[in-house]
Amino acid sequence: MSIFAAAFGFGLVSMSVIAIAAVGFTMQFGITNMINLAYGQVMISSAYVAYYINRAGITIWVGMIAGAFFGAAFSFLLNRLVYAPFQRKGTSYLGMVIVSLAVSLMIANLLLPIVGYFSVSYSEHAGSLVRLGDIVLTNNQIAIIALSVAVMLGIHALLRYTRLGKAMRATAANPTLARNCGIPTQRVIDMVWLITGALCGLAGVVAALNSDSFVISSGAGFLITALAAAVLGGAGQPYGAMIGAVIIGLVTELSAAAWSPEYKEVVAFGILVLVMVLRPQGLLAKRGALAAAG
Amino acid sequence: MNTYYAANLLIYAGVDIIAVLALNLQFGVSGIVNFSFIVFQAAGAYAAAVLSMPPHTAAEYSFQVYVGGYQLPFPIPWIGGALAGALLAIPVGLVVLRKLRSDYQAIALLVTSIIANTVINNARPFLNGAAGLALIPQPLQDQVDTYGDSYLYLYIGLTAVCVGLVWFLAARIVNSPYGRTLRAMREHELAATALGKNPVALKMTMFIVGGAIAGLSGAILVGFLTVWAPSTWLYPETIILFAALIVGGRGNNLGAILGALLVPVGFEEVTRLLIRMNIGPPNLIPALEWVAIGLFILGFLWFRPEGVRPEPRRVFEGSPDVEVVDRVRTA
Repeated sequence: MSIFAAAFGFGLVSMSVIAIAAVGFTMQFGITNMINLAYGQVMISSAYVAYYINRAGITIWVGMIAGAFFGAAFSFLLNRLVYAPFQRKGTSYLGMVIVSLAVSLMIANLLLPIVGYFSVSYSEHAGSLVRLGDIVLTNNQIAIIALSVAVMLGIHALLRYTRLGKAMRATAANPTLARNCGIPTQRVIDMVWLITGALCGLAGVVAALNSDSFVISSGAGFLITALAAAVLGGAGQPYGAMIGAVIIGLVTELSAAAWSPEYKEVVAFGILVLVMVLRPQGLLAKRGALAAAG
Repeated sequence: MNTYYAANLLIYAGVDIIAVLALNLQFGVSGIVNFSFIVFQAAGAYAAAVLSMPPHTAAEYSFQVYVGGYQLPFPIPWIGGALAGALLAIPVGLVVLRKLRSDYQAIALLVTSIIANTVINNARPFLNGAAGLALIPQPLQDQVDTYGDSYLYLYIGLTAVCVGLVWFLAARIVNSPYGRTLRAMREHELAATALGKNPVALKMTMFIVGGAIAGLSGAILVGFLTVWAPSTWLYPETIILFAALIVGGRGNNLGAILGALLVPVGFEEVTRLLIRMNIGPPNLIPALEWVAIGLFILGFLWFRPEGVRPEPRRVFEGSPDVEVVDRVRTA
């Protein structure tokens, strides 16, 4: 039984990582109507920013903050310079998906000559082991879980108790009505890109820290797990993404223990397919992925 | 500039034209954003390979493991490749095309493409995993000598016949009342549904037809290359074909052909030239090639979304003036 207890421990870490990524992704989609397929590439870019800071001998926890800032700035600029102009031009949802995929391809290949093809990893001491019954975790893993819980509580507080959060929810529900009510939707959307970009950057560094090593192409895997969690929970629903992250994190780690770690993403994909067949709107959403009228 | 190089270029051009024509039927005419297009090409290639290869227990082939190995004579592997593409389209289409909103369909297909590659890469006993298949027999290799120039001409001829067939089929579909229905669905799915058209059936049909053509293109490619591995069908390959179609002109078969010649073939040649000139560190040029393809897509979507050869505006006899229609529409 102890292999499954260990896997459960890894599942806790894994769901913490996925939750940060998935909440950022789903908020981008829910509020700005943008399925940002470059999300995984922004994650991996931020992971590399943290890597270079870490390589200069600075602790990864500082690198993590830098990664979050980088992700925020990068996502903000991406929206301002590419996505928003295309959206203003009246490009369809489908056109925007193609745009974001093209952007994703460009980021990956601009990065490639800079960072190289070889996989790298952070040099950070994993810290001492902590035992909770059969579950054994390192101090770093405990820190990741704590960080994720803090971020989730922060997002909850932001959405429920602040004016900005209220404005975000209003913009997500009906942008035209929100603007007519005097909410500066443009500024709200800018804030959304900054906040979700910071989550994206943070998630990238945390995901890279949690895996043994990473390369540029890890970005696609990051995107798939975040997507799976977001769609499972109901796209555009931050709380749904948290639930989705818990399920995907646990199931992928347990399957890795029972079957083979190479197929983690395949298991996430299997869950995605099941959701799309059985409940396309996701766990929480009323409409979500279901075809909207018109 | 030798015969082999020219033949190589022509055969690649043929394969790309077939693929972009198929993608045009799906994306250009029907509005299905098939981001896993390359998977169907790969399915055709693998099917053609295992249909024409001897069993993996055969002496020369024992270094690889794969299913099948039927040693079937020439046209069967190509037909089998097309069938494999069509058969694969059925389950994928049933999962993706029935309930989901169109942008979800696109990301579901993208994820399918990435995962399919991961699975084939890791599951070695199925199709030899990451190493891929090698020594795939060429069509008619037991009847004719495959080393001379004449075989290249023969292969170009076979490819050209397939291009002709696919073009004929695509033109028939695009210009028929059925093609009109597809365009109606692409432009306004709800309106088409209200007029009694079944969008799921239409999309499924085009998904399967496109899958079959993609499979054929894979079979042609693998018969020429004689090797096939997961690294040849990563998801960005699909994006090249999308770039070709966006540049050439969505919904226009001639545009699709033009795009196939401009983007995949043109880029391939320019890259080859630049690499020979030894500019910058190795791998810089291929990486920049992808950046250029991304820029091409963004540039065309921004400045000329209809492509070099736009889809012709189809009007029936006695229809009101185009300007009148526009004025009414914007009013």
